[in-house]
Amino acid sequence: MEILVNLDVMMAKRKISLTELAQRIDISPANLSILKNNKARAIRFSTLMALCHELQCQPGDILEFIDD
Amino acid sequence: MNWSRDKSIVLSQFCVCAFGLLLAVLDVFGYWLVGFFIRLRSMNWQLGAVILAAVYVCSVFAWIVLWRMWKLLGNIKAGRVFIPENISHMRAVSWCCAAVALVCLLASLAYLPFFICAMASAFMALIVRIVKNAFQQALLMKDELDFTV
Repeated sequence: MEILVNLDVMMAKRKISLTELAQRIDISPANLSILKNNKARAIRFSTLMALCHELQCQPGDILEFIDD
Repeated sequence: MNWSRDKSIVLSQFCVCAFGLLLAVLDVFGYWLVGFFIRLRSMNWQLGAVILAAVYVCSVFAWIVLWRMWKLLGNIKAGRVFIPENISHMRAVSWCCAAVALVCLLASLAYLPFFICAMASAFMALIVRIVKNAFQQALLMKDELDFTV
């Protein structure tokens, strides 16, 4: 049972690089990389809001619940 | 000026050095100091030997405690506060205090005033252990925070 982060899929759809997205939402590329590689333990609402705003998507497009 | 950050750690390091110096003096002159004490209190030499042995055994643990505290303060000064190494230092300090408490408790069978040292040391071990537990919890929280994006 886990939450999968599909940020890489959304980034590919919007044709945006990690560095550029990190700049636009004002977080470090290292932190965004943690999120993209499913290493994050938690995500702030402000980060999720900024991501949804920049990628023009819904939270459900980025986060996916995987049940065992 | 931030007293806590700039001066407090330096003061603590100075105190550790001062205690180190006192301990070195005790190690060098311990034999004569205990000799002087047993003559002053008209004790027999067997009791003096027990006191001397207790002092030197405790001295070994005291050196370990001072070394660990020095390393701990160095880490805090460098901004590395909630790291596993510091928890290991505090655990070692706590166990050394407990060991000193045990040595003093055994020595108190021969010379009762050692019982006060045993109690003080056991209490110190407990305090350090509780602070270590708090650090351990803080380390988990920091770990959680570091991976919050």
